[in-house]
Amino acid sequence: MEFRELLKAPGPILLDGGMGSMLQAKGLALGEYPELAALEHPDWLKKIHRAYVEAGSQIIYANTFGANREKLRRTGRTVAEVVSASVALAREAAEGKALVALDLGPIGQLLEPTGILKFEDAVDIFEEMVTAGAAAGADLAVIETMTDLQEVRAALLAVKENSDLPVMATMSYEERGRTFLGCDPASAALTLEGMGADAVGVNCSLGPREMPPLVEELTRWTTLPIAVKPNAGLPDPGGAGYDITAEEFAASMARLADLGVKLYGGCCGTTPEYIARMKAELEGRTIRDIPRQVPAAVCSGTCTVPIDRVRVIGERINPTGKKAMKEALRKGDVDYMLNQALAQTGAGADILDVNVGLPEIDEADMMVRVVKALQGVTDAPLQLDSTDPKALEGALRVYCGKVIVNSVNGDEESMEAILPLVKKYGAAVVGLTLDRKGIPKSTEERMVIARRILDKALSYGIRREDVYIDCLTLTVSAEQAGAAQTLEALRRVHGELGLKTVLGVSNISFGLPARPLVNQNFLTMAMTCGLDLPIINPNLESMMAAVRSYHLLMNIDRDAREFIAAYGDAQVSTTITAGTSSAPAAAGTGERDLGKLVEAGLKSEAGQAARRLLAEREPMDVVDNILIPALDRVGADFESGRVFLPQLIQSAGAAQAAFEVIRETLSGQPGRETDKGTIVLATVKGDIHDIGKNIVKVLLENYGYTVIDLGKDVDPAAVVEAARKHGAALVGLSALMTTTLKSMEETIALLHREQVPCKTVVGGAVLTPEYAAQIGADFYAKDAKESVDVARRVFGK
Amino acid sequence: MPITITQLNIDEVLRYMGCPPDKADAATRALAEESAGQMLRAVTPRWTWRVFDLAFEPEGVRMGGLLLPGQDLKDHLRGCERAALFCATLGSGADALIRRAESVDMARALALDCAAAAAVEAVCDQIEGELQAMFPGCSFPFRFSPGYGDLPLTLQGDLLAALDAPRRVGLTASASNILLPRKSVTAILGISRNQIEKHIRSCLGCPAHDGCQYRKSGGHCGIS
Repeated sequence: MEFRELLKAPGPILLDGGMGSMLQAKGLALGEYPELAALEHPDWLKKIHRAYVEAGSQIIYANTFGANREKLRRTGRTVAEVVSASVALAREAAEGKALVALDLGPIGQLLEPTGILKFEDAVDIFEEMVTAGAAAGADLAVIETMTDLQEVRAALLAVKENSDLPVMATMSYEERGRTFLGCDPASAALTLEGMGADAVGVNCSLGPREMPPLVEELTRWTTLPIAVKPNAGLPDPGGAGYDITAEEFAASMARLADLGVKLYGGCCGTTPEYIARMKAELEGRTIRDIPRQVPAAVCSGTCTVPIDRVRVIGERINPTGKKAMKEALRKGDVDYMLNQALAQTGAGADILDVNVGLPEIDEADMMVRVVKALQGVTDAPLQLDSTDPKALEGALRVYCGKVIVNSVNGDEESMEAILPLVKKYGAAVVGLTLDRKGIPKSTEERMVIARRILDKALSYGIRREDVYIDCLTLTVSAEQAGAAQTLEALRRVHGELGLKTVLGVSNISFGLPARPLVNQNFLTMAMTCGLDLPIINPNLESMMAAVRSYHLLMNIDRDAREFIAAYGDAQVSTTITAGTSSAPAAAGTGERDLGKLVEAGLKSEAGQAARRLLAEREPMDVVDNILIPALDRVGADFESGRVFLPQLIQSAGAAQAAFEVIRETLSGQPGRETDKGTIVLATVKGDIHDIGKNIVKVLLENYGYTVIDLGKDVDPAAVVEAARKHGAALVGLSALMTTTLKSMEETIALLHREQVPCKTVVGGAVLTPEYAAQIGADFYAKDAKESVDVARRVFGK
Repeated sequence: MPITITQLNIDEVLRYMGCPPDKADAATRALAEESAGQMLRAVTPRWTWRVFDLAFEPEGVRMGGLLLPGQDLKDHLRGCERAALFCATLGSGADALIRRAESVDMARALALDCAAAAAVEAVCDQIEGELQAMFPGCSFPFRFSPGYGDLPLTLQGDLLAALDAPRRVGLTASASNILLPRKSVTAILGISRNQIEKHIRSCLGCPAHDGCQYRKSGGHCGIS
């Protein structure tokens, strides 16, 4: 029987037990590669497989767990050779009495952002195994013992894109209910079912007694069959043994039938005896068939957001009407977007909309960069805001979790381009109630489009719960009758179709005075009509207040806990002021203040002081005669040991706040930029210690240099390319490990060989001036302050 | 034996931040304290260990089939019959917290980074205490890690493999031998049945020896 038929048949499915521990028992020595057993100890391996089949295993795992190119690197064997031999041997041992699974375990290198392995490289590594395993006749693929959901995604894509094998994915959790890397069963289940896994579950981790809470959580978030393959209890500290006997194991496992577990096996420390006893215990037990209903929800790799109440989508990562963000996009300054993200989640956003569309940049490339960077700093799920299928697919591929695709509209062309991507990557999708003919005026016409989008999505196999409808906000100053139509459409989509709804709220008030007032009221009205996902600026207190009040009044915020937490000790002003929160026109101005504030490292105060000063003085005057002298005084104090690194950075941070105010004033005035020259910074290939480089960056920027920050683990060729592209006169390289100094040397050598007309400055804890000279660097900077001195020498200002 | 760290030595955090504790202003000290608190809430310390017999060979020390090359560790372990190999990690939560701060506030990022460094040291001190208690009557030289003296960093992967560390505690080494999650340590603690001469951890054993700013200015970082 094939795997998918087995899943449908009644009764439990038995998997096999431990492999590593069995090989050790046969005599595998410490330091030997267990991955090579099929080639070096085929008799042992065959005996182990046979013993499991005899014990009752209906599926055995071929010994390919670690047979990836990274782990085999030092064995002199190829992946194809090891995987083929291992699968063939398992098939021989199974003699048709059990199915053989291609086993895909962790690569052994952590993926970005915790590690440095790139997602596409991980997909490639698994692809090699899948191709060989499918060719050798594996019946299914299992992805197991994973702690990073992103790595599971890579393996799952590799299976789906390179074979027709069914696939099961199990992760390894700790007692706190998360994996080492923070993934929880809810995020895993939502993401993997969305991407087309056939079964999900838990393996390794803990013993069978610790399984029930993990299984219960899985049942809430997936309709797929659930697999459980735990260790023989908890490990003895420092030893190799486990604390549960075969009898205890079997008894605990059999109880999981009441939770509806379909596939049963064992991991580390379990033997054929454990499987045989488990088989006996399970005999005669019925697997409880509990109908499961998974609610609408989105997630990142570590955080699930069910759409079971109003969830706020932050709208600020969007260049429309934002000079500073456009500038950041042109410069490739991803930090700007990260700041926007953290400010919004801090203010209460549950989900972040990401729109990086700007005519003059490569949207697809930028979307991927921003999404990667965002998932390094925030747990909040994202909404990918683009109509470019290329940008969407790039971002869908690298995003770890279940995102919202914003958007598709009622046109066939739009649906056919976008919906297959939504299905493949398991996303949710926003359907706009418009089509080629534009936005319909009437509610009924919008309902027609909403139904059309829903039907099409269902026909692609997208869940009903994953289709959200945007009934579209029309500007009330242009079409006053529009707001009521939008609200009515919301009510009907919510009531008649039972779908979740999305709405961009802020446009309603365009062209009107007292916009926040209109926005806040429209938001409240929309929520009353069934709006689930308002797209708003969460930094505006009046908008978040409307959401909190709604939850309070609708009895969603039980016992008013959240409301009191937010407002319990605050005096909320009910006056709505138009415009953004600008600095209060406080008394006391003057340059001494700004200089002092920079020296004291007071960020927000420095920004406000700069704003006041700009009312009476020229921007460049403020930079040259106040900011830079203040930074110089701090720098001099740093050199003489009167102030220390933390204060130096804080002063730089305060100066940065002042600079941002000045840049706002200057941008758009040609020839009046603060720019003193361009510097490329990078932490070299192989090295990921970038805190020192980032400190240098802050300082250089505050002296008016434009810094192109290439990040960490940067290839020498990328440094050359960036230095050329931006015409950088100075390249700064950082390395913190003796083992990565070599990359620094290579980068400098390549810059020389390619005759890039730039100077180089190097720094990092293990560097010395002598070594810097030896590898051909033009300058050595012992700290961030010295890097500024170097820049001044190079640029002459 | 779960390890829990409930507080950090703020003076040590300040020293790592490049600020002599007696000269720290109130704001800097407050930043260090706050960051230490935040870091302690973000960490999930995990560790694992194994004891091996040692054999002294011309090229280095052999520990359970694995040759640890070089003279420095060999000298350091002289007199020890066994050694406990251990690794410890603060988990990926520490890295995520620092990463988040880096895009918003570098001073805080620095403080968090240094708090994590102090936390790793504190975790290792606790582990050393636990291990020593398991071998009553024995004596122990200070713990020694790849990168000290001439013990190469390229051993990291082998040491982790010997401990089954990726599976047991989620600790890995990159191709360039950086431990990931970042705030992690591998170390070898010699065990001797007899009294051995006590060494203290000194600048000579420190991987930052050549470039160290404290040493250049005649000072000391304050780590044991």
